[in-house]
Amino acid sequence: MSAAQRQAAWARLTAAGLVEGDEPAAQVPGPPWFVRVMLGFAGWIGALFLLAFGGVLFSSLFDKTLLALLIGSILCGAAILLFRLRGDNDFVAQFGFALSLAGQALLVVGLGNLFDTWTSAIALAAAVVEAALFFLAPSFLHRVWTAGAAAAAVVFALASWHVSFLAPGLLTAAFAWVWLRELEDPRHGELWRAGGYGLTLAAVGTVFLLDFVVDMAFLHPARDGGTGVALAILRDYAGAAVSGVALIYVVVRLLGREGVPLASGAGRAALAGAAVLALASLAAPGLAPAVAILVLGYANGNRVLTGLGVLVLLGYLSYYYYSLETTLLLKSALLVAVGSALLGVRLALHRWWLHA
Amino acid sequence: MTDLRETIIDWARQGRLRPEDLRRALLLEGALPSVADWRRFLERLLLWLGTMGIASGVIFFLAYNWEKLGRFAKLGLVEVLVVAALVFVGRLGLERPAGTAALLASAMLVGALLALIGQTYQTGADTFELFTVWAFAILPWVVIGRFPVLWLGWLALVNLAVTLYLQTFPGLFGLLFDAEQMLWVLLGVNTVALAAWEGAAAAGVVWLRERWATRLLATTAGTVATVLAVFAVIDEASGWALLAWLIWLVVAYAVYRHRLRDLYVLAGGVLSLIVVLTTFLGKHLIDFDEAGGFLLIGLVVIGLSAAGGWWLRRIAVEETV
Repeated sequence: MSAAQRQAAWARLTAAGLVEGDEPAAQVPGPPWFVRVMLGFAGWIGALFLLAFGGVLFSSLFDKTLLALLIGSILCGAAILLFRLRGDNDFVAQFGFALSLAGQALLVVGLGNLFDTWTSAIALAAAVVEAALFFLAPSFLHRVWTAGAAAAAVVFALASWHVSFLAPGLLTAAFAWVWLRELEDPRHGELWRAGGYGLTLAAVGTVFLLDFVVDMAFLHPARDGGTGVALAILRDYAGAAVSGVALIYVVVRLLGREGVPLASGAGRAALAGAAVLALASLAAPGLAPAVAILVLGYANGNRVLTGLGVLVLLGYLSYYYYSLETTLLLKSALLVAVGSALLGVRLALHRWWLHA
Repeated sequence: MTDLRETIIDWARQGRLRPEDLRRALLLEGALPSVADWRRFLERLLLWLGTMGIASGVIFFLAYNWEKLGRFAKLGLVEVLVVAALVFVGRLGLERPAGTAALLASAMLVGALLALIGQTYQTGADTFELFTVWAFAILPWVVIGRFPVLWLGWLALVNLAVTLYLQTFPGLFGLLFDAEQMLWVLLGVNTVALAAWEGAAAAGVVWLRERWATRLLATTAGTVATVLAVFAVIDEASGWALLAWLIWLVVAYAVYRHRLRDLYVLAGGVLSLIVVLTTFLGKHLIDFDEAGGFLLIGLVVIGLSAAGGWWLRRIAVEETV
C-alpha cells in the first residue's frame, strides 16, 4: 500500500467522522505471512542443530530430569529476554525463536522423565508451559507456534482420556471464538491473531493427524484408564457433532454481526448451508472445520486464512478418499447428496434474494 | 506490502480509531465484505462445494467398482453426466461462474470416463497413458475455459503423466539415476509452464494475472530445483544440478526482484538457499567436528534466515514508500 493510498484512506475516514487529526506516521510493516513461514521453518532447522549440539556435548542432559528442566527453562527465559530487549532486531528475534524451540524440547523431555508414563500430566504441564510462553514472549511467530503447541498438548491430554475425537470440534470452536474477537479488541490484535493462527493450524493438524496423536499418546497406556462401551459408540458421532455445532455457531454469530435476521431469506439460506455441512460432517468430520476456516477468513477480510480454508477443503477431499472410515460407495453417496443439497440451497438463496 | 486492512487495524491499535468503529472503517474502505460481496461469496461457495461434491462423488463411485451395476450402465452414467455438464456449459456460458464450475466438473468426469474404459475393456494401458490421454482430451476445454484453476489442474495431470511415464520407462536418458532423471524433467516442465504463464500474463492476458497461481507454479519448480541441488551436494546427482539450481535462483531473483516484484518467490529463494547451504555444511562439517559442526550450522541457519528476513522486509518497505 503506497503512501498516497494511505493518505486517501485516512481522508475518507476523516470525512466519515471516524477519525480526526493528522494521519499517523507509517509504521514499519511486519513481514508478510510467507516470510514468517520461511523464518519459522528456518528457525526450526536452526533449533534442531542447536539441540543436536547440546545433545553431543551433554549427552546425559536428556536422561537427567532436573537438568533438562533447568536448562530448558534457562533457554526459554533467555529467549523471552531477547524478545523483550531486542525483539526488533531480526537476528536476535530469529536466534531467540530457535533458542526457545530448543528450550521447549528440553522442557518436554524433562516433563516426560518426571511424569514417566502419565501421559495426561505430561501433556497438561506442556500446555501450561506453552501458554505461559505465549503471553511472556512478545513475538508474533513465536506466539503462533506456542498457541499451536499448547493446543496440540491439550489434544494429547484428550487422547490420553480417550476423548481425542472431541479435539477437532473443540479446536474449531476455540479458533472461531478467537477470530470473532479479533476486530473487537484491536489493542491486543496481535495476541488474537497469533492465537487464532496457532489454534487454526492445530485444528487442521487434528483433522489430518488425529490417529497419529492417539497412537503417540498410548505409547505407555499403563497409567491411563480403559475405554468404555458408551465412549466407543459416542466416538463416531460426538466429535463430528461438536464440529458441526461450532460451524453453525460461526454462521449465527456472523449473521448477528452483519445485522442479518436469522429468519430472513439470506439468514435461512446461510443456516441451511451450514446445517447441510454440519450433518455431512457426521460422516466426513473434516468438512466443518475446513468450511469454518474459509468463512471466518472471508468475514474478517483475511485472505491468508481464506486461502488456508480452501487448501484444507481440497486436502480433506483427497484425504477422505483414502481414509478407512467407510466404503467408497457410502462416501460417494454422501458426496453426491451433500453436493446436490448445497446446489439446492444455492437456488433457494437466489430466489430469496430476488424476493428481498 | 502492508495492505489496507493491516493499516486500518494498526490505526485502531494506536488508539487513533475507536475499537467500536474499527469494523465500520474496514467496511467503508472495502477491507471487509459488503452485503453484495457476501452474496457473491455464498453463491460461489455453495456452487463450488456442490459441484466438487457431485463430481468427486461420481469418481469415488466408479473407484468403488460396484458389481451390482453393470459395465455399460456405469459407462452410460458417466457419459450422460459429461454431456449434461457440457450442456450446462453451453447454456450458462463461460462468463458465469456456474458455467465455469460445470466445465471443471466435466473435465474431472472425462478422467473418470477414461479410467472406466480402461477398467472395462482391459486395454492393458499403463497408468501414465490414462493421464496423458486425459490431459490431451480436455486440452480444448482448458483452452476455451480461460480459467486458472483448470490450467493448474491440467498441469498437475501433465506432471503426473510424466512422473508415471518415467517410473514405467526409467532408462530414457541412459546414464542418469532414475530419481534425478525424473526431477530434471519435472524441473523443465514446471519452469517452462511458469515462464509461459508469466509471459502471457505480461503480454496482456488478464485472466492469467492471478498471483496465487504463479506462486504455486514457482513453488513447485523451485522445490524441484532445490531437491536436485540437495541431491548434487550429497553426491546423488551430477554437478550440473547445482549449476541449474544456481541459474534458477539468479533468474528468479532478476525477474521477481526487478521486473515482476513478487516477494513470495524471493522468500522461497532464501529458504532454498538455506536448505542447500545447510546440507553442504552438514556434509562437510559434522564428520570433522560433531558438536562444533552442529553449533556452527545452527548459527549459520539462524543468521542466514535473519538476514533473509531483514532483506525481504526492506524490499517490502520500499514498496510502501
